[in-house]
Amino acid sequence: MKLVIDENRCKGCNLCTLVCPYRIFRPGTRANRKGVLVPELDRPERCTNCRLQGLYGRTLCGVCQLTCPDQAIGWVRERPYEPAKIEVEY
Amino acid sequence: MSFADWLRADRLPHIWCSGCSNGTILNCTLAAVEAEGWDPDRTVFVSGIGCSSRAPGYISTDSLHTTHGRALAFATGVKLADPSLNVVVFTGDGDLAAIGGNHFIHACRRNIDLTVVCMNNLIYGMTGGQGSPTTPIGALSTTTPYGASEPAFDLVALAVAAGANHVARWTAYHVRELERAVQTGLETPGLSFIEVRAGCPTNYGRKNRLREVTDLAEYFRTKSMLKAKFDRLVAEGRPVPSDAIVVGEFVRRSNPAMGVVP
Repeated sequence: MKLVIDENRCKGCNLCTLVCPYRIFRPGTRANRKGVLVPELDRPERCTNCRLQGLYGRTLCGVCQLTCPDQAIGWVRERPYEPAKIEVEY
Repeated sequence: MSFADWLRADRLPHIWCSGCSNGTILNCTLAAVEAEGWDPDRTVFVSGIGCSSRAPGYISTDSLHTTHGRALAFATGVKLADPSLNVVVFTGDGDLAAIGGNHFIHACRRNIDLTVVCMNNLIYGMTGGQGSPTTPIGALSTTTPYGASEPAFDLVALAVAAGANHVARWTAYHVRELERAVQTGLETPGLSFIEVRAGCPTNYGRKNRLREVTDLAEYFRTKSMLKAKFDRLVAEGRPVPSDAIVVGEFVRRSNPAMGVVP
């Protein structure tokens, strides 16, 4: 699975930068077509849900998706799946 | 399937401001409804007037957007006309506590099988930030430019006293706890009332030194206090911060309820 931010829905409130335990979201620096500073993803392959959702068969963590007031955060299926090199920091 | 399937994708992005907690509360409520496994064709969302009451417009089930403060009255009608329907009410503090105050206490008294999610942003957000019955003392708003001087409504205490079967309070920062509380409310027969402290960065935060959205989330994180800790502090006679937001489940009981399928 791959973490994506829907640029059409995001309004740039930066709440996701506060709640992610891996700090994957970073405050955006470049305005998009609507003038919104959409947060940038910092190595999104570290996301628990991206790595382990297929194994457990349910949504893991998912706090960013629940918190996002604009319903902009979601996961899309990757086809074909590309195992990326993952470094998890503790 | 996740809660995102309950949303009307063609209506998004919604009209709420950047960082408005209403979207978060909508997510948590839909996640609870999804976890409960309700049939979208047998679920009705009812709302009144206000920012919070835009929520049912973004949900793909049947919904009622009713007159100001009368969401509970309409929901009572829906529930009693067909008790097999699952009814969830979205309402705001101005809708529930000010204009619909009488409907609220009598819905609690009758104990109708509804789930009421109150998005309490401490202000009338949609009309320009006027003070509402829940604006805390000292808070600045359009109609209280020198600080609110009247005591605020404690909606949770009101619901407990009026006889609701399940009463809880959480903030928009506590998403998982809120989802669980709403799910408990959906399972409880009788009226269940969940007050959610929501942040309004545009009209409340801007005037009360909480301009950034992340400041509001930080405020909820630091000021909220679990009910168990609050009770312990009170029992030990130790001082409790006056601005603490007491969160948790306040009451769960099984009084006779109305509109339950036997």
